[in-house]
Amino acid sequence: MIADKKINKLKEIVGGDAVSTAVEDRIAYSYDSTRLEYLPDIIVKAKNAEQISNLFKFANENNIPITPRGSATGLSGGCLAVNGGILLVMVEMNKIFDINTVDLLVDAEAGVITEEIDKKARKFNLFYPPDPGSIKSSTIGGNIAENAGGLRGLKYGVTKDYVNSLEVVLPTGEIAQFGAKTVKGVTGYNLKDLMVGSEGTLGVITRATLNLLPLPQKRASLLALFDKLTDAAQTVVDIVSEGVITSTLEIIDNVTINAIEDYLDLGIDRNVGAMLLIEVDGQEGAVDIEAEIIKKVCNKNNTTSCKLAKSESERDSLWSARRAALSALARVKPSTILEDATIPRSKTVQLIKAINRIAEKYDIRIGTFGHAGDGNLHPTILTDLRIKEEAEKVEKVIEEIFKETVKLGGTLSGEHGIGISKAKYLQMEISPETFGIMKRVKKAFDPNNILNPGKMSFD
Amino acid sequence: MIKIEKGNITNKVDELFNCSRCGSCLAVCPVYRKTLNESFSPRGKLSLIEALSKGVIEPTERLSDILYTCTLCNYCYVECPSGVLIKDLFEAVRLDLIGSKKYPKILDLLKEKISNGKNVTFDSNEGRLDWVKQLPGVNPEDLLKENAEVIYFVGCVSSFSPRAFSIPRSIIKLLKYAKADFGLLGEEEWCCGFPLLSAGMHGEAEEIADYNIKKIKQKGAKKIITSCPTCYHTWKHEYPKIASEKIDFKIMHVSEYLMALIDDGKLKPSPLDLTVTYHDPCDLGRNSGIYEIPREVIKSIPNIKLNEMEQNREQANCCGGGGNLESINEELAASIASDKVEEIEKTGADVVISACQQCERTIHTQLRKKKKELKKKVKTWDLTELLLKSIEAKGE
Ligand SMILES: Cc1cc2nc3c(=O)[nH]c(=O)nc-3n(C[C@H](O)[C@H](O)[C@H](O)COP(=O)(O)OP(=O)(O)OC[C@H]3O[C@@H](n4cnc5c(N)ncnc54)[C@H](O)[C@@H]3O)c2cc1C
Ligand code: SF4
Ligand code: SF4
Repeated sequence: MIADKKINKLKEIVGGDAVSTAVEDRIAYSYDSTRLEYLPDIIVKAKNAEQISNLFKFANENNIPITPRGSATGLSGGCLAVNGGILLVMVEMNKIFDINTVDLLVDAEAGVITEEIDKKARKFNLFYPPDPGSIKSSTIGGNIAENAGGLRGLKYGVTKDYVNSLEVVLPTGEIAQFGAKTVKGVTGYNLKDLMVGSEGTLGVITRATLNLLPLPQKRASLLALFDKLTDAAQTVVDIVSEGVITSTLEIIDNVTINAIEDYLDLGIDRNVGAMLLIEVDGQEGAVDIEAEIIKKVCNKNNTTSCKLAKSESERDSLWSARRAALSALARVKPSTILEDATIPRSKTVQLIKAINRIAEKYDIRIGTFGHAGDGNLHPTILTDLRIKEEAEKVEKVIEEIFKETVKLGGTLSGEHGIGISKAKYLQMEISPETFGIMKRVKKAFDPNNILNPGKMSFD
Repeated sequence: MIKIEKGNITNKVDELFNCSRCGSCLAVCPVYRKTLNESFSPRGKLSLIEALSKGVIEPTERLSDILYTCTLCNYCYVECPSGVLIKDLFEAVRLDLIGSKKYPKILDLLKEKISNGKNVTFDSNEGRLDWVKQLPGVNPEDLLKENAEVIYFVGCVSSFSPRAFSIPRSIIKLLKYAKADFGLLGEEEWCCGFPLLSAGMHGEAEEIADYNIKKIKQKGAKKIITSCPTCYHTWKHEYPKIASEKIDFKIMHVSEYLMALIDDGKLKPSPLDLTVTYHDPCDLGRNSGIYEIPREVIKSIPNIKLNEMEQNREQANCCGGGGNLESINEELAASIASDKVEEIEKTGADVVISACQQCERTIHTQLRKKKKELKKKVKTWDLTELLLKSIEAKGE
């Protein structure tokens, strides 16, 4: 517990309205989308960088942890106050300052909801490419901290490719600027990129300048069904080999298709081995040519049906299965564990097959869908974590999936981060040397381990 | 501290566990979007209900303040990937809060009004037909006839609030034009009971449901129509759950009934040169699934142009007027309404059409408040008012 005197001091720093110690608030700020729970002692709503800077000085003097939090849609427990202390809520810092239509930049506070940035950009015929599934609710600060990806990763990359410069409050209280508002910039260490994906352990991002792109002129959407998973996976590889870089290349496996049919009854054949949702975008003529190539590749790989949307409403209907994937799976069982194992694109079949083998071995349902184009899959484990044996089984299942992933040259997390959920597996993938230098970087930024302690198995 | 006695939520632990804390509901909840306070979000509320069900926390004033800060718009449910029955959980916890005596005290006043006066105002129920008085050529006595095919269940707001009188008046005129065989309950009509139900005061609401059903049966009607979407939702979806009396007549929203009259050629809309937009009331849309019929009524009017709001139908934003929110937090309700008005303005419509007296009032008040900021004057009409104007307009 933190003494009243200290809380009063805290109120002086950030203002009384911004602080709560009410038990109701502590409970509502104790979780994220992992559904794990850790009670913070104090909730503080940040208003600006100066306040946060003063807050850090206070926290260092009093040895109180600070954990930054965006919208708590994280899937690795990054924003949980595992050691209690202050939970620093960023969502009220939600101003979008301006859109620079010449340099194609947007300048925004860290608490802005990502979709708001994209919406605003679209008014100027621009767009913000990273589109995580949580785009309507997650914050841009959280996206940067997790280096969030999305459906458009293969062609457009992930958050890190769009971060131009950052304003960051360091755990020692300084307010620093990382990066330059230019396309190129090599002045000193690239600390901006170090911040991206640092999971709120190196500094609090307060403001970001992000790159935007002009909206593509045209888009083509296709949906292809395959009897065999291997044919679908081969299609993914072949499309890219043909030189077509799709903006969307999503795979949905048979388990997921069946869940979708149970939920929406879209009339998809339940025996379909896998389906691919494919989109290309760009200049008028180029898109048509690419769509033709994709059709040919699908045919070569024995597609049983390959539909090209002729209108926006047809596109909508092609998307309906993919859009419903998570909802459909989430309704099967009380607990839905969304993993994000990521492998080189060529290993998609091996990983999905391994996942199916593991599912059979443990007699558990796992639906797999995800961004096949960039090898980022979402094996989704359907279970009931309240049952002890189930929870234990899930642990083993996840561990086996990770082992297979690493064996295939993949990575534990394509986009959700390590936080606490994957902390114990971190050293399965990275070497002691890499881990050692990470710890030293953390220590250099945060000597007193004030910022977001208890994460990534650093302490 | 008082322990929960009834423990309605302790029977709902499975449903509570279905929430994965994914946060999708944050994006659409009007209360969260305005307060940016997780405790007041659907996800936050569910976490608190769960803590309550496990005995981690006790009911407190603050807890009840949080849990009642909700327009019951049900948008969270539409957005929820896990399909959590959020409203059921809210309802269950409110029952418990009432049981534990930790609830907003303003609700006692509401209960008093409905128990004593059988309506939500301080007026005597004898005034239920005051709105008929200035209706030329209509004798209130005639409207109370027995064995009419249809009973129009007017609802409290339209019966007592002068601002809303034009809704029942329009309906009476339309029904007369169509030569429909209809009647009213007059002072024998009681509040539908929804304000009590939503507050968690079920006992009182059950009694009311049985009374109202019995009255309709006594009158020998085959159908009832309501103009208030909340009355409609309550009759159609709540009464069957809480009443002992069986319902053996049809329940229709007035928009459905009017559309049938248009289809049968009994009402012939004349052209109106207008651009309108349509606001989906939560209790008619998301809570009852009626999206298209009011639009069909609008489109049955020649020349009219219907511009949809950016978010419509299942995704329509709440006007802020629902779920007693106004009495719990007036400022918050107004600020939700203010966003709605901005959305309306963007459609370029001359008139915003609603099918709910409460939405109409909330939107109208906000439009007036923001008069200076708005580029053009936008009027608010009920769907029935619009149709009447068209029926009474001279054909070209
Ligand atoms: C349904 C669903 C779909 C999802 N889809 C995707 C997807 O497609 N791709 C993807 O990559 N992720 C996805 N996610 C995961 C999650 O949405 C992302 O990790 C997102 O970036 C988290 O943002 P947030 O604002 O919710 O951050 P939070 O969960 O609040 O925090 C995440 C981490 O960032 C830190 N943090 C937050 N704000 C700041 C700040 N201002 N400065 C420093 N650190 C900060 C926190 O300490 C924490 O470590 C999904 C999640 C859900 C529930
Ligand atoms: S019913 Fe509406 S106001 Fe209430 S929690 Fe759900 S979305 Fe929010
Ligand atoms: S959308 Fe549904 S599952 Fe997700 S947090 Fe809200 S209530 Fe829970």
